[in-house]
Amino acid sequence: APVAQTQSKNAILVSHRQRGNPLLKHIRNARWAFADVVPDYVLGQSSCALYLSIRYHLLHPDYLYYRIRELQKNFRLRVILCHIDVEDVVKPLHEITRTALLHDCTLLCGWSLEECGRYLETIKVYENKPADNIREHMDNDYLSRLTHALTSIRHVNKTDVVTLGSSFGSLSQVMNASLEELARCPGIGERKVKRLYDTFHEPFKRVS
Amino acid sequence: MLAFEEQVVSDLVEDPNGGLVVLSSGFPLASLAAALLLQLHLHPPPGDATGGGCLLVLSAPDPLKARIRRRLQDRLQVHDVPPDLPAQQRASLYASGAALFLSPRALAADLLTSRLHPSHVRALLLLSAHRSSDTSSDAFIARLLRQRRLLPVYAFSDRPHAMVAGFSKAERAMKSLYIRRLHLWPRFHVLAAADLERAPPDVVDVRVPMTPAMRGIQAAVLAAMDACLKELRRTNKVDVEDLTVDKGLFKSFDEIVRRQLDPIWHTLGKKTKQLVADLRTLRKLLDYLVRYDAVTYLKYLDTLRVSEGVRSVWILADSSHKIFELAKRRVYQVVRADGMRVSTDNKGTPTKKMKVVHNSTGKGKENENEGSTADKHNTQKVIADVGIVLDEVLEEAPKWKVLRELLQEIAEEQMKGDRENAQDEDESGIVLVTCKDELTCFQLQECISKDPHKVMREEWEKYLLGKAELHGLQKKNKKKSEQPKGFGVLDGEVQMGPNESAGPVSISKLETNALLAAASELRNITKEADVKDGSNVSCTKRELVKGKAKGKSKKTTEKRQGSNRKNRNNEGNDNDQGTVVEAEGQLGKTDEHADIDASKVSTDDDFMLASTSGGACNYSSDFRDSTEVQKFESSIRRENEAFESLIRQKSLMMIPVDQDGRCIGPTLANEPDPLLCQNSITRKAGGKKAPEKEMQVIVDMREFMSSLPNVLHQKGIRIVPVTLEVGDYVLSPLICVERKSIADLFQSFASGRLYNQVEIMARYYKIPVLLIEFSQDKSFSFQSASEIGDDVSPTNIISKLSLLVLHFPRLRIVWSRSLHATAEIFVSLKTNQDEPDEKKAIRVGVPSEDGIVEDDVRAENYNTSAIEFLRRLPGVTDSNYRAIMDGCNSLAELALLPVEELAGLVGSQKGARTLKEFLDAKCPTML
Repeated sequence: APVAQTQSKNAILVSHRQRGNPLLKHIRNARWAFADVVPDYVLGQSSCALYLSIRYHLLHPDYLYYRIRELQKNFRLRVILCHIDVEDVVKPLHEITRTALLHDCTLLCGWSLEECGRYLETIKVYENKPADNIREHMDNDYLSRLTHALTSIRHVNKTDVVTLGSSFGSLSQVMNASLEELARCPGIGERKVKRLYDTFHEPFKRVS
Repeated sequence: MLAFEEQVVSDLVEDPNGGLVVLSSGFPLASLAAALLLQLHLHPPPGDATGGGCLLVLSAPDPLKARIRRRLQDRLQVHDVPPDLPAQQRASLYASGAALFLSPRALAADLLTSRLHPSHVRALLLLSAHRSSDTSSDAFIARLLRQRRLLPVYAFSDRPHAMVAGFSKAERAMKSLYIRRLHLWPRFHVLAAADLERAPPDVVDVRVPMTPAMRGIQAAVLAAMDACLKELRRTNKVDVEDLTVDKGLFKSFDEIVRRQLDPIWHTLGKKTKQLVADLRTLRKLLDYLVRYDAVTYLKYLDTLRVSEGVRSVWILADSSHKIFELAKRRVYQVVRADGMRVSTDNKGTPTKKMKVVHNSTGKGKENENEGSTADKHNTQKVIADVGIVLDEVLEEAPKWKVLRELLQEIAEEQMKGDRENAQDEDESGIVLVTCKDELTCFQLQECISKDPHKVMREEWEKYLLGKAELHGLQKKNKKKSEQPKGFGVLDGEVQMGPNESAGPVSISKLETNALLAAASELRNITKEADVKDGSNVSCTKRELVKGKAKGKSKKTTEKRQGSNRKNRNNEGNDNDQGTVVEAEGQLGKTDEHADIDASKVSTDDDFMLASTSGGACNYSSDFRDSTEVQKFESSIRRENEAFESLIRQKSLMMIPVDQDGRCIGPTLANEPDPLLCQNSITRKAGGKKAPEKEMQVIVDMREFMSSLPNVLHQKGIRIVPVTLEVGDYVLSPLICVERKSIADLFQSFASGRLYNQVEIMARYYKIPVLLIEFSQDKSFSFQSASEIGDDVSPTNIISKLSLLVLHFPRLRIVWSRSLHATAEIFVSLKTNQDEPDEKKAIRVGVPSEDGIVEDDVRAENYNTSAIEFLRRLPGVTDSNYRAIMDGCNSLAELALLPVEELAGLVGSQKGARTLKEFLDAKCPTML
């Protein structure tokens, strides 16, 4: 029994209901094993997933609701993994979205079995991963920081950043450049000039 | 006003529904709009005692506004309503019943909040009808206005080809704007043509041959484009049958490709996307080739290499090597000390050796300064040691020469004319030179006032200094291993000589050294000449001003303010001041052009209209055999085709009207579907409808850029526009939605913004919702199967979404196929929920210390783009940016603050130093 337990900690537990689901072939980056579990997939201590193909939903519109009800409140993250396998999705997807939202489930959509499988793997693999990858971060070299700042102004692209940087020498000089100086930079058109100038020279608060 | 203009206006006013006018590009849109405004102002509709109400002019660009104002002069005041005008002032402007220029965003919000009641509006004018569709903000406003009462909507467009893009676009635009009548005014319309031909101008077309190097570049760019197209064809994703390099010359080319690819854009591989981007870059290169001078062009190429080098496909192609080589050869070439050319295959390039000129100018500047001459000898030797000499070519832009010759010619003719009728006192010939953009404008100004060689030299010197600075930096950065990867690329040499480090002394290295030597020599010169130059410049400036004041025989008027249809070069010669003022009134519609496109002809037309009395003489110069000519010709052809198609469409058009002849407007495509209750209806008293309560959704002001508020409104939901600190839509006290289009989603994952947004949404709302909105006409999927890959990769969108979901298990995700699907989902989510509270929603997430939550909208009072910029600076955090904004006025001011004061604002010494260092850091000069 202890062996089974350690194994179950590191593997995706798959309900016997899913036997025969071609999706299983695509789970390759995480181990998985059949087990007696209520949800279709148990992805971690507090996360689980239900798999639903839209084609199946069209045949059995009530299925999803009953499956969700069975889950009870045992998991913090309850994913409904929706396989989009029909052309006309608007109506069924609307129903699924609504059901998921009303019953505290997170909806994820995959357009192929690979994609669905990848969601399952990723959630398992990332179980304890911090969110650094999607938090604000920056390359620390000067140019990418400069690009990051300057491209916040609409229509300014990377080439413009290089142009501005090299024509003015430093950011503070760019920020204090006159309209005319800005206009002299190749590739920076009239609208960009105005947008840049306004960003730097209009006061933060327009109405005092 | 001309006969045809009068006809246009009187046709328009006839129909109480208004009308759509499509003009040939370059027809006097401004004067038509002005005439229409005046007509409406002077003749209020009968039976309307109040005298009407406001005349609203939507989203006119600044130059157009100025022209309309000039046309109206004092007869009618048109007020500008900037979106940041305080609400009270806006309200009083609306009440005054004046004519107003507005942005659609602000107007939609004001209509929704009843700050402006439709009954206070006389008419709505739209000046770019080609942008209207049933989900556009124009249409939203038209609907908001027309719902309550019948008022005319007048729409104009001077882009006939844009009106025929897409399936029966004109018809759909008209329906969505509640317009019944389409008026077409092509160039070949009888009335218009009659007006145009009353005084046909005397046009002298000067064809300038391109220099061989330019021709070479053009050929190479075309070859590179061809290569890109071939690659694109290989992907089998695009129908490239009708994509030929010929077509590549026109603006719509990359748009055609994009339109074809749009439905599957997200499933395309990186390479295909890059190819499309490359095509656009190449087209730009072609365009700049004839617009920029040799040095600026080279500089732009260098910049491109830095910013695109790693990714682009074309840069690695053979032909691109040629582009760079030739562009360089237009500026300088490297020669061995013994005079042999180092570079090969440039036999055919007839380069003027500027060395002589260089020496003489150098002498001219320095002749009294012995010391520096000695200095110069030194540097010369250094170069000789390396065994390589830099030979400046500095090819002058061919059009400059032509322009000078023309000016000369005009001056001579003027002299002759002056002698003949000397009695005519106020006859001052004014020469108007129009050009396409400000850069050329500056350069031409200098060219005319100074020597063009000098202008080239100045550009060249700037270029050299920039190069030198970069290398100076590099030297400082001695530790080779530590050398940031970027620098190799920034150097601009890395692509050229990959064996640089391995081989003995490669050519590119020699070249770089030579460049550096030249630069250091230059620096010495400039230091001394600096003061002198400064005074020189001011001198010439003064001269220029003087010339103008005297109103002598020649005067150069340069147009600064915008209008992209300015064409470079030229001048014409007019006989009286009056005409020129008139011409200026039309924004310097002019007489001689170099860069031509259709709007130029229009320019001519316009000018002719203005100066029917004066015998204007037009010169226009363009490059022989260049893409410029082809572009021009094909644009005319395209315009005519567009009109023919519009005429056909007009004959088949069906616009539904009600009994009183009112336009019914767009039929709502997706009636709210009683989705889940279909069955229940039969059970409930035979389908009797429950009394409907009005639903309301609180929408962030910034969301009015998108079409969702419009579509929600179509569904019958009340829209409450406010500025939200958290989320984009508040559906109920519990539900808050952050909307992301696909492109936004990828981008805000990359920037980390999404994480913050979700985090804060989850903090304040019980049901935070991320709405992923796909676009109707694009494919409904994230990525192609090939992009999924074999492993879990942290950069893949799947990984990012999974991570987000893991960290916010309460986050609900809505996947929406289209705008209309979103609206339906919103409606069904709102059932069984309370209505959201506007006051509460505004206050959410706003720190209490600046709780100046007034009725008025915050975003209008802030320079949002500046704030966004500020928050991205290092040292600035979520907690201190407000203090920084309080402590200084603008970004420009912030850049100048000393570090001590910054410390006070930022809140820490360390943060202040980081910020200051970043602001003042020397940008690596990459050129």
